[in-house]
Amino acid sequence: MENKLLIAKNISKSFSGVQALKNVDITINKGEVHCLVGENGSGKSTLIKIVAGVVTPDEGEIVINGNFYKKLGAIDSIKEGIQVIYQDLSLFPLLSVAENISLNQLVEEGRKVINWDEIRKLAEKELKKINIKLNLEEKVENLSMANKQIVAIVRALTQDAKLIIMDEPTSALTKTEVDSLFSIILDLKQRGISTLFISHKLSEVLEISDKVTVLRDGNKVGEFEEKELDNEKLIFHMTGKTINESTFKYDKEKFKEKPILEVKELTKADHFRNVSFELKAGEIFGLTGLLGSGRTELALSLFGLNPPESGDIIVDGKKKKIKSPKDAIKCGIGYLPEDRYRQGLFLHQSIGDNIIVTIIKKVLTLFGLISESKKIKQIEKWSSELKIKAASLFDPVESLSGGNQQRVVLAKWLATNPKIFILDGPTVAIDIASKAEIHKMIRDLAEQGIGIILISDEISEVLHNCNRIGLMEKGEIKEIINPLKYSENQIYNKINKKN
Amino acid sequence: MLKKIPKTNEMYLIIVIIIYSIIVTMVNKSFMSVENVFDILRSGTGQAILGVGVLIVLLSGGIDVSFTAIAISSGYIAVRAIMALGIDSLLLAFVISCTVGLVFGAINGIIIAYFKIPTLIATLGTLNLFHGLLLTIVGTRSVNAAQMPKCFINFGAAKIFTLTTARGSTIGLSVFIIPLIAVILFTWFLLKYTMLGRSIYAIGNSTESALRAGINVVKTQLFLYCYVGFINGIMGVITVSEVRWVNPVYLVGTELTVIAAVVIGGVKLTGGSGTITGALLGVGLITILNSTLVLLGLSSSWMDLFVGAIMIISIGYTSYQRKIENQRLLNFM
Repeated sequence: MENKLLIAKNISKSFSGVQALKNVDITINKGEVHCLVGENGSGKSTLIKIVAGVVTPDEGEIVINGNFYKKLGAIDSIKEGIQVIYQDLSLFPLLSVAENISLNQLVEEGRKVINWDEIRKLAEKELKKINIKLNLEEKVENLSMANKQIVAIVRALTQDAKLIIMDEPTSALTKTEVDSLFSIILDLKQRGISTLFISHKLSEVLEISDKVTVLRDGNKVGEFEEKELDNEKLIFHMTGKTINESTFKYDKEKFKEKPILEVKELTKADHFRNVSFELKAGEIFGLTGLLGSGRTELALSLFGLNPPESGDIIVDGKKKKIKSPKDAIKCGIGYLPEDRYRQGLFLHQSIGDNIIVTIIKKVLTLFGLISESKKIKQIEKWSSELKIKAASLFDPVESLSGGNQQRVVLAKWLATNPKIFILDGPTVAIDIASKAEIHKMIRDLAEQGIGIILISDEISEVLHNCNRIGLMEKGEIKEIINPLKYSENQIYNKINKKN
Repeated sequence: MLKKIPKTNEMYLIIVIIIYSIIVTMVNKSFMSVENVFDILRSGTGQAILGVGVLIVLLSGGIDVSFTAIAISSGYIAVRAIMALGIDSLLLAFVISCTVGLVFGAINGIIIAYFKIPTLIATLGTLNLFHGLLLTIVGTRSVNAAQMPKCFINFGAAKIFTLTTARGSTIGLSVFIIPLIAVILFTWFLLKYTMLGRSIYAIGNSTESALRAGINVVKTQLFLYCYVGFINGIMGVITVSEVRWVNPVYLVGTELTVIAAVVIGGVKLTGGSGTITGALLGVGLITILNSTLVLLGLSSSWMDLFVGAIMIISIGYTSYQRKIENQRLLNFM
C-alpha cells in the first residue's frame, strides 16, 4: 500500500449530459512511468483534470499518498505533489529562464518581496538536479521547444513534484530531443518521481512506459504491463478494431512512363542541396528523415514558399520557375501543410468557404462577383466526394474533428484539380481510425493519376502507402528505396544511423 | 543577437538623444544652457509621470486611454475644491487630486478585472465617462492665474535651488522633480522587487499561465489600475501648477502621444516586456523634440511628423528582424 502514490477509483463525469468518463480506475505507483492512451474524445484530458483537481468528478474517490479526498481541489493536488505540464507549457515567454523556474514556487510561498539572487540560486539548484545547463538570463521565448519543456519540468520539480503529468510532451520535439526528454523521465523515476505520460505516438508509449492505461469512449479498456503490448495490440485496445496495413502498389501499366515532375539538383543553402528525384502520375513518393533533415523545406520550395537558389523544377517536361504559391498552383501543384491549424485552414470560417477558397475564380458570375449558387454546388460536390461529416457546411471548420478538418484541406486542394499533390504530415494528431481512412483516400487519388509526394516522420506511414521512399538526411536525399524490400526497423535504423 | 535587443533598445535611444542634442546645439547654442535643461525637465515631469502609468498598464497586457481624463479631472477638481473650501493647502490639493485619481482608477480596475472587458474598450468608455462627468457635473469654466489658489502658483514657481547666471538673472530647478523621482523610485521597486510587480509582468506574458501559477489576477489588475489612477492624480496637481491656469478640456486628446513615447522606449504594446528606463527615455526623447523644434526654427506641426517617423522606424526595425527570423524558421505568420 505504501507504494501507491495515487489511486483514483470509480471515477465518473459527465458534461451537460455527455458522459466523458464511466467508472474509470487508475493507480499510479511511486517511481512509475505510466502512459495514458486513447483516441481523441476518449476522456484522457478529463481524467487528467480530475487528478489535478481542476475538474470535480460526479462520482468516485481519490486517494493520494494515503490521504482520502472526496472532493479534490487544485490546491490539494499541488500540495500532494501533483504537477501538470500542459501542452502549451504555461510559461512566461518574455521573462527569464530563472524567473520562469522560480516564480511559481515563490507565489506558492506567498512572498511579497523578490530577491533576485535567490531566484537565480533556486533555478540553478533545480537545473543541477537533472544535470542540465541553461542560460538563466535568457528569455524563454528564445529557447528551443525542448529547452522550454525542460524549464517546465524543472519548474514542476521546484514544487516538490511527486507525480508529473505530461500532456503530449513530444509532439514538437525532434527524435534526439525526445531521447533526452526520456532520459530525464528515467532519471526522475530513479528518484522516485512518477510520470503520467500522454502521447499519440505509440512507439514512444511502448518505449518509455512501465504501465499503460487505455481509455476508449470514456471507459477503461484495461491496464497493461508494457511487456504485454505491441503496436497492433495497442491499436486494437484503443480503437476496438484491427486495422490492416496493406501495402500500396503502383500500377505501372495504367499510366504513362513520362514523369510529371522532375527535380534536378535543387539547392538552397542551409536547407537542402543537390536534391534530384522524379515523380510519375499515379505514384506515391515518400519522403522521410529526422526533423530538420530538410523535408519540409524541400516541399515548401516546390510550392513556391521557399524559392531554391539553384537547380531545376520540371513539370510535364517543361522547366518552370516557381516563386510563389500562385505559380505552383498554375503548374497544378497542391500542398497540404504540416500545421493545418495555422497554415491549412481558416479555422473560424465556414467549412464551405474553406473548401472553395482555392477556386474562387471558378464560382464568379459574369460581373466578377461570387455566385452563391455556383459556390454551393462546388461545396456540395467536394464535401460529398470526401465524405465530410458535418452538421452544417456553414459551421466553422474548428467545430470539426481532426480527421474531418484534414478532409476539408484535401477537398480544397482537390478542387483545384492538381496533377501533383504534396502532403506534409497528413495524419499528424489524427486518431487511428480516421488515419486509415485518410490513407485510403490518398491511395485512391494516386489511382486516379495524381502524382503524390507524401512526407512523414512516421515510418510505417510511408512504408505502407508509398511505392518509393526517399530518405533525407542533412538536406540531401541519401537513398531512394523500394519499401517492399525493407522492414520498418531497417528503415528506422537507416535514418537513425544504427546499423 | 536577439537577446540583446531589450538592452540595446535603451542604448539606441540614448544615442539618438545625444546625437539630436548635438545637432540642436550646433544650430542654437542656447539649447545646452542650464536654463533650458531645467526648463525641459520641468515641462517633461508631467509627461514622465503619465508615461510611468502607461508603462504599468502596457506591462500587464492592457492599453489605457483614459489616463488623461483622470489626470485633468483630478487636477481640476482639486483646484475647484480648494477654491470652494478656502483652505489654501498644497497637501490638501494632493490629497483631493490623488483620491479622485484613485477612485477613477478603481472604476477602471473593477470594469477590467471583474467584467473581463478588453482594456482598450473599457478605457475608451471610461475616458468619455470621466471627462463627461467632469464637464457636466463639475463644470466647464476655466480658472485663470488670478483666480488660482496660491498653493498651486507657489508650487509651480518653487525651486529646489537657484543659480544666478552671468547676466544676473536667476534660474532654478523646479520642485516638480521631487514627486517625479518619488514615483520613479517607488514604481521601479514595485516592478522589480515585489511579487505584485512580477505578477504584472506575468499577467502581461500570459494570463492563463499566471492563473495556473496561482497568481491572483483579479487582485493584481485591481491594484495596478488603482495605482495608475493615484499617480495620475499626482500628475493632475503638477499640470495645473505648471501652467498656472486650468481648463477642464486640457490634456484630453494627448493619450496617444504618451503611449507612442512609451512604445518608442521599447515597451511592448502586446504586454509583458519593457523597463521603466526605456519608458522614461522614450518620454524624454519626445519632450526634447517638443521643446526644441522652435530652436531649430521649425513649426510645432513638425512634431507629429517626427514622432510618427521615429515610431515607424523603431517598430519597423524590430518587426523586420522578426521577419528575417521567421523566414529562417520557415514560419509564414
